[in-house]
Amino acid sequence: MALDYEQLKEQWGEVEDRDGVRLSWNVFPSTRMEASRLVVPIGALYTPLKEKPDTPLLQFEPVVCKSPCRAVLNPFCNVDVRARLWVCPFCLSRNPLPPHYKDMTQNAIPPELHPSNTTIEYKLSRPAPSPPIFLYVVDTCQEEDSLAALKESLIMSLSLLPEHALVGLITYGTMAQVHEIGYTECPKSYVFRGSKEYAAKQVQEMLGLAQAAMRPGMPMQQGGRLPGGPAARFLLPVSQAEFQLTKALEQLQKDPWPVASDRRSLRCTGVALSVAVGLLETSFQNAGGRIMLFAGGPATEGPGMVVGPELREPIRSHHDIDRDNIKYYKKALKFYNTLAKRTAHNGHVIDIFAGCLDQVGLLEMKSLCNSTGGHMILTDSFTSSMFKQSFVRIFEKDDDDNLVMGFNAVLEAITSAQLKVTGLIGHAVSLNKKSTSVGETECGIGNTCSWKMPGIDPQSSYGIYFEIANQAGGTPHPQGQGKGLIQFLTYYQSAGTGMFHLRVTTLARNLSGPAGDPSIAQSFDQEAAAVLMSRIAVFKAEVDDGPDVLRWVDRMLIRLCSRFADYRKDDPSSFRLEKNFTLYPQFMFHLRRSQFLQVFNNSPDETAFYRHVLNHEDVSNSLIMIQPTLDSYTFDQEGGQPVLLDSASLQPTHILLLDTFFHILIWHGETISEWRKAGYQDQEGYENFAALLEQPKEDARDLITDRFPLPRFIVCDHGGSQARFLLSKLNPSTTYTSGAGAYGGVGAQSAQTIFTDDVSLSTFTESLMKLAVSGTS
Amino acid sequence: VHIAAPGGVAGITSGLGAMQLGAGAQQPQQLPPQPRPGPLNHLYPTDLLNQPFNVSELELPPPPIILPPNSSVTPSPDANCAPKYVRSTLNAVPTTHSLLKKSKLPFALIIQPYAALHDLDDPVPVVQDQVISRCRRCRSYINPFVTFLDHGHRWRCNMCNLTNDVPQAFDWDAAAQQSVDRWQRHELNHAVVEFVAPQEYMVRPPQPLVYLFLFDVTYAAVSTGLLATSARTILDSLNRIPNADRRTRLGFIAVDSSLHYFSVPKDTDENGETSMLVVSDLEEPFLPVPQDLLVPLADARTSIENFLTKLPEMFVNNQDNGSCMGSALRAGHKLISPLGGKIAVLSASLPNLGEGKLSMREDKKLLGTSKESTLLQTASGFYKSFAVECSKNQVSIDMFLFSSGYQDVASLSNLPRYTGGQTWFYPGWNAGRPEDAIKFATEFSDYLSSEIGLEAVLRVRATTGLRMNAFYGNFFNRSSDLCAFPAFPRDQCYVVEVAIDENISKNVISLQTAVLHTTCNGERRIRVMTLALPTTTALADVYASADQSAITTYYSHKAVEKALSGSSLDSARELLQNKVTEIMQTFRKELAGGSMGSGGLQLPSNLRGLPVLFLGLIKNVGLRKSAQIPSDLRSAALCQLSTLPLPLLMQFIYGRLYSLHDMPDNAGVPDPETSQIVLPPPLNLSSERFVPYGLYLIDDGQTQFLWVGRDTVPQLLQDVFGVADRTQLHVGKGTVPELDNDFNERVRAVISKSRDTKSRGVGSIVVPHLYIVREDGEPSLKLWAQTLLVEDRADQGMSYQQWMGALREKVVQ
Ligand SMILES: [Zn+2]
Ligand SMILES: [Zn+2]
Repeated sequence: MALDYEQLKEQWGEVEDRDGVRLSWNVFPSTRMEASRLVVPIGALYTPLKEKPDTPLLQFEPVVCKSPCRAVLNPFCNVDVRARLWVCPFCLSRNPLPPHYKDMTQNAIPPELHPSNTTIEYKLSRPAPSPPIFLYVVDTCQEEDSLAALKESLIMSLSLLPEHALVGLITYGTMAQVHEIGYTECPKSYVFRGSKEYAAKQVQEMLGLAQAAMRPGMPMQQGGRLPGGPAARFLLPVSQAEFQLTKALEQLQKDPWPVASDRRSLRCTGVALSVAVGLLETSFQNAGGRIMLFAGGPATEGPGMVVGPELREPIRSHHDIDRDNIKYYKKALKFYNTLAKRTAHNGHVIDIFAGCLDQVGLLEMKSLCNSTGGHMILTDSFTSSMFKQSFVRIFEKDDDDNLVMGFNAVLEAITSAQLKVTGLIGHAVSLNKKSTSVGETECGIGNTCSWKMPGIDPQSSYGIYFEIANQAGGTPHPQGQGKGLIQFLTYYQSAGTGMFHLRVTTLARNLSGPAGDPSIAQSFDQEAAAVLMSRIAVFKAEVDDGPDVLRWVDRMLIRLCSRFADYRKDDPSSFRLEKNFTLYPQFMFHLRRSQFLQVFNNSPDETAFYRHVLNHEDVSNSLIMIQPTLDSYTFDQEGGQPVLLDSASLQPTHILLLDTFFHILIWHGETISEWRKAGYQDQEGYENFAALLEQPKEDARDLITDRFPLPRFIVCDHGGSQARFLLSKLNPSTTYTSGAGAYGGVGAQSAQTIFTDDVSLSTFTESLMKLAVSGTS
Repeated sequence: VHIAAPGGVAGITSGLGAMQLGAGAQQPQQLPPQPRPGPLNHLYPTDLLNQPFNVSELELPPPPIILPPNSSVTPSPDANCAPKYVRSTLNAVPTTHSLLKKSKLPFALIIQPYAALHDLDDPVPVVQDQVISRCRRCRSYINPFVTFLDHGHRWRCNMCNLTNDVPQAFDWDAAAQQSVDRWQRHELNHAVVEFVAPQEYMVRPPQPLVYLFLFDVTYAAVSTGLLATSARTILDSLNRIPNADRRTRLGFIAVDSSLHYFSVPKDTDENGETSMLVVSDLEEPFLPVPQDLLVPLADARTSIENFLTKLPEMFVNNQDNGSCMGSALRAGHKLISPLGGKIAVLSASLPNLGEGKLSMREDKKLLGTSKESTLLQTASGFYKSFAVECSKNQVSIDMFLFSSGYQDVASLSNLPRYTGGQTWFYPGWNAGRPEDAIKFATEFSDYLSSEIGLEAVLRVRATTGLRMNAFYGNFFNRSSDLCAFPAFPRDQCYVVEVAIDENISKNVISLQTAVLHTTCNGERRIRVMTLALPTTTALADVYASADQSAITTYYSHKAVEKALSGSSLDSARELLQNKVTEIMQTFRKELAGGSMGSGGLQLPSNLRGLPVLFLGLIKNVGLRKSAQIPSDLRSAALCQLSTLPLPLLMQFIYGRLYSLHDMPDNAGVPDPETSQIVLPPPLNLSSERFVPYGLYLIDDGQTQFLWVGRDTVPQLLQDVFGVADRTQLHVGKGTVPELDNDFNERVRAVISKSRDTKSRGVGSIVVPHLYIVREDGEPSLKLWAQTLLVEDRADQGMSYQQWMGALREKVVQ
């Protein structure tokens, strides 16, 4: 009989540790018919660069299958040492073994063939085209304190960069300025009009980056090209540029153009970004580099503007978008999407740091980060620790003091014949590579087996989706292995070693037996499935109407339950789910009411930000975002206890610690609040109360340590205004339990009642059971 | 004629009725007695062939203006305008149009409102009390030629005859609370005065003096040392730039393929460092920052000094050959147009990028042909339309041009032409030659020190019946009679042609020139120059009082106008030949009565220089027939022919020639009375005057040639140049070394005195180059020097004898 669910979970955890992969189904259906009944697609949430400190970095070139397959030798290959051959499990080709593999024995096998090395990394002999590039794009339309804080962070960051990394600076406000930090006679910058859309060629000519012949009368540079091309005037190694750049940053002033009191500052974010992209484009094509945008407000000028300069004109909301009452939205979106595509094509990353209480236009700009694998950090101000600490985290280094970021990754999926890849959801662009592994349907970025990620880091996770090949009558596997195989090849430029690396993960999973094989259901990883489905739902939400997406989520859930639950038709009370399905409806319940799909409580920028982060994180972080965790602390209890995300958990003598991933909130129950306000914690004899107050804080600190971006930290009391934030996350169970009408009599309700017209989890579950057993869906 | 005067006529302010009342009804017994026309200048006909023209005749003053006694209200010797300010072609004015037409002489004023670059060198009386009495009808300013009536309570306008009230403050100093002696007032004693203008003469508060420098920083400009010399000269001249009111502002833009702005911090800004802001978007130039691009010299002195010191270094490695000067001008205009001011362009390149971009269009095949004049016209509409725009916004442009190749001076010179600026041309300039560096640095520094006026308009009013018909010079003719000058230079002259529309009954007419301007110290002022001239019905009087230099100046402008209007240079030369022929024919026919017998060629003594001046004009580099003159050089000469103050123009047309080896003992040393260096007597410009052992100075005011004869004695070479023999003589651009001997000192004194324009009553920044020419040396240099010998036959030009022969043929036939 099958393994116990807990054991399975543990096993999947080990696989995740080893391969950075969680699959929705760990047994693959062997027929398309079977697959079509799974409802949740076969998918992998894959973290290609997941840190694997124990695995050796191979210092030789991989052995690959012949073209066009190019699969890499792995533990699932059949090796015939005597014949000096290996058989590729993907295309079944026989390939010669390289000469030095002939000494291989049972006890001395090459590392890539070792059964435990289903994931292995090669350091290739191909060096990166240039050291990593960091181009700061700084908004100068800011209050003095905010600008000062940002300057300080930026100057400090120079010390975090490797000495050989190239740095550059662009500032913008009414106009965009490219600082020529290589020029030492005086501060010098190239100025671009903020209101004009510059073509790539124009930018390059205006910066003097174009071919010498392109400008009339320009004599050929003596002695050929400058090292690093003409862009070397703008992008210099930190060791050379530190003094000049520090000076330039120190001397940065608020945008000098006057702003009338009824107007916003003119901010040409679009021009600044397109100039930044143009600067890297000529001389650093496909060399790893980040354009780091520090936006203090929305673009109000030129291409990519998201709101007009008049203050009486508010920035668009979800309602405006819903009503199609949007003056600049579509144009801006088109502008940034085009720019994002170009940047990704060039192999560069765009990070956006917003330091503004209002929106900066992330909604319009989101593709810049989403297509390039850049970070998106949304904070209230550059003075906030949320910004400062998140910013520093980007420059995190490994034990060898190397930056852990990767550049210009190419992720390729190779499948054995039964499987086809249908797409990827995550921060990447398609490389439009067709192969026998590409499926007929499309999920996310499809019609390709290869994707490009200009920016990638050890946390970057991608949802990759598969379908079962359309085999007539379910042809058995020629070799009868009964396994489906997937190989992920990730080539990337390591910012640390300065070389290209190749990470290879090879997965083999059993194929199901005859129709109705229960092993499929048992192999369901509800956590991975929930996250993979969330990504699809969010992907759909970007293009479809909100209600349509919610209906799709519901329909899929009902169908899944109809398919896998135990019940008697039309008898909801008979409804039972296996252990590895029980949490799934709850995840979907929370997903439905999450900020990912219920956008109207947030600004469009926040929505873009939340969705961006969801598409970057692994299973466990994503689950926290979908269904926040809630821990309760009280007297006579060791530490925090997980409690239901339910209004019933609001107890006067308890402290709650809520983690939504984006926010960490400590809530003090009514009694605790009163005591705290009275200052008991500082009095003798109340040490245990003081200790109780400390516990959630300590745990919160632990949570924050590894979190990126740094979450917003809130401490609030029962009845305080900030508490609303917690209440909005709780299941509204008490709404329907008391009071006469459907929504309760307001005055009659207890203080713990949540005022919401949401359905409660129990109502949700009831109707789910009803619909699932009816068999009408 | 008496017309009954109704009561309260003073209230009538306009129209014919008012004039009649003013003229007739008011106490006619107070009218001055009609002065009888006195004898005017005598006509002295002379024979040009038998009494050849001598150059010294050009030094003579114009025929005096003989006014009837008591024409002016005060007996002041300065009551009438001195010729250095305003000169009429005719110092006796025909009373009718038909007489003028018959005379074939032009009636025009040559106006040169300033006689020096600085007020100190040529002060004029200033009326400080802001009491400005003007005619209610014609807006003329009160002047020495008005008439006081009604016990001095009213004055009659000498232009339109309207009677005006004398303002009460005219005789009363409100500030000092005491009466003023009217007869001491400057405006009644001096024909040239300056009024301090009150508020109503200002459209806006007086603008500060603004200089925006557009530096060419292309490879050409850097490698010739232009950038370094320009920066250094400005740096050294900061104390000379007028800044008495501490409001003078400076701005700097460096130009190659891009615009380089400089944001200069105030000295109080501790961390301030001048930053360079590069704009390569030439489509529609814009300002990269809203402030600090145009800074008060007083507040940013140290920053400016630091910047100018560093500037050459900033571009020392620049390889760029592109110049977007047109776009730079557009940008500069944007920068200074809220204030107005001067843009000084210092360029060694043809603007080949951006707005108004030009291309190399010089075509050697066209030179000397009828198509040559197309090269003298502007190649791009930008240069005129932009100049007009600048004029509207009180922006004046000066071009300092240095290209070693073609620079299209013809197009570029439009900018100064319509904005009251000037084109300065330094062909083949290189700072590596000390002479070049010193010449430009000296001139540029004097340019910067000049007390220019700002936001100026010039208008000429005249006695009823006369009308200002045409205007010549560098300005924009804003309306029929108003000339606009964003900046008013002190080294140019203007020509205004006068038409006689109605018969003039008066014995004396007046022409009043007023220049309303802001001084570079921020004071609004009006410089008023009133010229009174006698009238005559006799053609002989007209001829006897005609001013040959003024006539030549007028025709110089006419010829330039023709050359620039697209007619061929031939037609410009023909115009000149026809005019002088006409004048001589008229004189022969109407005044000499054919009494000259055997084919003599006659002119009155005061016009004897006319044929040789016209010949000089025809042979001037701007106009002469030749296939060897690059069009840039021609265009630059045309600029000079249409702007030079009269004394300098005369010299440019007919240079000075001094014989030095045999100069009299008093020459080259100071005159004991005036302490001015005495010049040797000038010689006619003819090689016949040369002896092979001689040493000569030929000087047209723009270039000096020191001519060393083929047989000069070694002692002379030793004394003057410190060399033993001619082969050691360094020819070409140079200087005479300072040697310790008397002759050397005297030669240098003559060379230097010959350059002294100040003492000749003109403002000029020009420091002529001195070329040392050996008669038996470098042929092209020698040929160039010889082109100045107007009376010689050269290239395709006639000798004086041939010219006179040709004229005689036409006149006598
Ligand atoms: Zn293969
Ligand atoms: Zn009048």
